[in-house]
Amino acid sequence: MVFARGIIVALFRSEKFMIEALFNQTNYLAAKKTLDVVQLRSEAIANNLANLETPGYQRMDVSADFEKQLAQATAAGDTSQLAALSPTLAADPNAKPSSKDGNTVRLEDELMRMNQNALTHAMETQMVSGTLQKMRLAITGHA
Amino acid sequence: MIQLLTGIHNTSSALEAERTRLDVIAQNIGNTHTTHDLDGKPYQRRVVIFENELQNAMNANGDNLPAMHVAKIVRDPRPPLRFHDPTNPDADAKGMVSLPNINIHEEMADMISASRTFEANLAVVKNARSMAMQTLAMGRH
Repeated sequence: MVFARGIIVALFRSEKFMIEALFNQTNYLAAKKTLDVVQLRSEAIANNLANLETPGYQRMDVSADFEKQLAQATAAGDTSQLAALSPTLAADPNAKPSSKDGNTVRLEDELMRMNQNALTHAMETQMVSGTLQKMRLAITGHA
Repeated sequence: MIQLLTGIHNTSSALEAERTRLDVIAQNIGNTHTTHDLDGKPYQRRVVIFENELQNAMNANGDNLPAMHVAKIVRDPRPPLRFHDPTNPDADAKGMVSLPNINIHEEMADMISASRTFEANLAVVKNARSMAMQTLAMGRH
């Protein structure tokens, strides 16, 4: 009885491992991380535009070192390093105030970034969809 | 509740604040010639003061994003405009009338800036919505 249960647990574990391995490809993980960043950046842009007229407000963005780390992890193909990445928001150190009140948000810049971000989001969701579709094709034989 | 439209809290508070600002500008323009405000003196231009407030609710990453809102509506301390019009019942002994300290051009410029900000925030809402729709459609086709 105990032995049987042991086999079942082992089977379950290996199956879990196999399924995890399916989703552990570098590209898929990188796409997921990029989606996280896109979501975070959209939050930052929404906030920047909301504070367009708040005196002294410093514009926020995803911290600059994240993209470097992402590039590094994808280049190394290190899935655990990729999975451990966590983007954070920080005040943009390069932004210069455009008016006397010290606010560093520029409407046109933010709208451009927002559109760019939306495009990145469309691309990444398509990437993820494509990966899932290919996996389904491989498993079932039809998409 | 899951956050499908991210960053929308601050956007809605900004929309509300800009709406208030537009209301105040409308009030200023409407009172360009009001010589008797509630206190009996000429109407004084009202100005909206915005301020940041830290949201108690943090986002998924634990970042605290400041939301802006209307702190108060104050009176513009500039003196009233003086005009010579002896026929006006409000004219003083020298025939001078005090009119509100409102410059219509200033108000129009302010109005344009407020509606631009309002539009920018609406664009954020639209964008967040289309992104959420894409996310929901992930893996479907």
